[in-house]
Amino acid sequence: MKLNLALALSLLVTAVSAIATDATTAPCPPPAAGAKPSCCSEEKVAAAQPLSDRSIYQLGATWINDAGQPATLVSLRGKPVVVAMFFAQCEYACPVLVQDMKRLLAALPEKVRGQAQLVLVTFDTERDTPAALRAFRERMALDERWTLLRGDNESVQELAMLLGVKFKQDARGQFAHSNLLTLMNAEGEIVHRHGGLNGDISEAAKVFALAAKK
Amino acid sequence: MKPLARLALILVLTLTVGAPAVRAGETFPPTTAPAGMTFIPAGDYAPLLRTKDEPERTPVAAYWLDIRPVTNAEFLEFVRAHPQWQRSRIGPLFGDRAYLADWAGDLELGSAVPADAPVVRVSWFAARAYAKSAGKRLPTTAEWERAASAGFTTPVGASEPGFSGAILAWLGRPTPSPLPAAGAGRPNFHGARDLHGLVWEWVDDFNTAMTTGESRGDTGLERNLFCGAGAVGARDLTDYPAFMRIGMRSSLQANYAVPNVGFRCARALTPPSSDSSLRDSSVALRP
Repeated sequence: MKLNLALALSLLVTAVSAIATDATTAPCPPPAAGAKPSCCSEEKVAAAQPLSDRSIYQLGATWINDAGQPATLVSLRGKPVVVAMFFAQCEYACPVLVQDMKRLLAALPEKVRGQAQLVLVTFDTERDTPAALRAFRERMALDERWTLLRGDNESVQELAMLLGVKFKQDARGQFAHSNLLTLMNAEGEIVHRHGGLNGDISEAAKVFALAAKK
Repeated sequence: MKPLARLALILVLTLTVGAPAVRAGETFPPTTAPAGMTFIPAGDYAPLLRTKDEPERTPVAAYWLDIRPVTNAEFLEFVRAHPQWQRSRIGPLFGDRAYLADWAGDLELGSAVPADAPVVRVSWFAARAYAKSAGKRLPTTAEWERAASAGFTTPVGASEPGFSGAILAWLGRPTPSPLPAAGAGRPNFHGARDLHGLVWEWVDDFNTAMTTGESRGDTGLERNLFCGAGAVGARDLTDYPAFMRIGMRSSLQANYAVPNVGFRCARALTPPSSDSSLRDSSVALRP
C-alpha cells in the first residue's frame, strides 16, 4: 500500500517534470454510434502539452473501434484508463478479465468511476472485425465507457510489448496470453499492473483512484 | 569448393527424404546475398516446448540472415542518424536505465567498448528500430532457432560431434569484458557466425516464450503444454541450451537492456513493397 502510494506519487512527479518527447497529433476520431462522445475539446487542451516519456500514448498507432471508426489511444488522454488485451473468441480467460475490470470499476469512488475509461484491444487481428467486437460488447453488456479496438499486427505487438503482455497464437487460432490489467493515469502513464484472474482488486482500485485524482 | 559440397549435401538430403525438387529461393539462394547477410534455406523448426495442438515441426521459409551480430560501431551510426535512440533521449518505456550504459556517452563508445564487438544493452524496441532503418527486421524465434540449429559442417548441429559441447562450454563461461569482436567465430553450415558463443540475441517475437501459466487462469497454459513448464513435455531433454534460451526470452521485457543480449537482423528473400515491417511506426512516431 505504502509502496504503491509512493509509486503513484513518483509517477505524478515524473509527469509534471516530463521532458518533451513526442507531439503526436492524433487525428480526432469521428464520434461513433454507441461509442463515447466526442473527445475533441479535451484532446485539444491535452495536445498542447507534450507527452511524458513514460506515456503509453507515445505509441502513435491508429486503431479501428467496434463502430468501424479510426481511433487512437491518445484520444483518451485526460482520463484514467484501464487497458487489457483480449480476443473475442476467448472461451475462458477474457470474459473473466472483463468481469475483473467491472469489479475494479465497481470498487472505485463514484467520481472516478464516472471518468474511468476501459479499453480492450484484441490480439485477433483477423477474426475480430468491428462486427465481432460489437457482438462482444453486447454479449458482455459493455457501456459507453468501454472502447474496443483492433489494429494491425505490428501495433498489437508493440502495444503488448509496452504493456508487458505475452501472447502466442496456437494452431487452432486461439491465443495464449497474459491476463493483465494495466492502469494508467490521465497522461497514459502506467500506475499499476494487475495480473491474474479473479484476484483481489482492492489494491488496484486504491492506486487507480489516487492516480485519477491527480 | 565448399559451396559445391554444401549443395551436393543438400541434394543428397533432399533425395533421401523424397522431397520435391530443389528450387531456387528454397534450398539455394535466388540471388546474391545482400551485403553482410547469408542465405538460410527453407526448413523447419521443432519447438522445444509446444502446446498439445501444435505440430511437432513448423516450416520456416528461406530468408536472409546477418552473418554476425550488429556491432557497437554500427549501432553508433544508427543513434547518430536517429537521435531519439540515444541513451539520454530514449525514455524509460523504450529502454531501461541499463540501455547502452557501458558507452562513454550518447555518441561515444569509450575505451571499454570495442567498436567491432557486438552491441549489447540494447532494448527490443531499439534493436527493432535499427533493423527497420536498415530495411531489415529482427528474425523470429523460429527463424533464429532454425539457423542456429545447424552445425559447422552439417545442417544438424545436434548430431555433430563437439557442437553441443562447445555451446555448453560457452554457457559455462562468464561473459568476458570487453566482448570479443563480432564475426570472429567459426561460420556454421549456413555461413552465419556467432549464433552461439558470443552473446544472446533478441528475436522479434521473444514475448511468445511463456514458461509459466500466463493465460486461461494461472494454470491454463501449463495444462495446455504437455507438462507445465516442463522437461517431461519437451522435445529433447538433453537440449540444455534450448532450455536456457527459452528461459532467457521469457524473462525479458521489451525495454530491458541486458549486458549479454545483442541482436542481428533478418530480411525476407523478396520483401513485398507493402511490407508492414517497413511501416516504421516506432522510428517515425518518436522524435
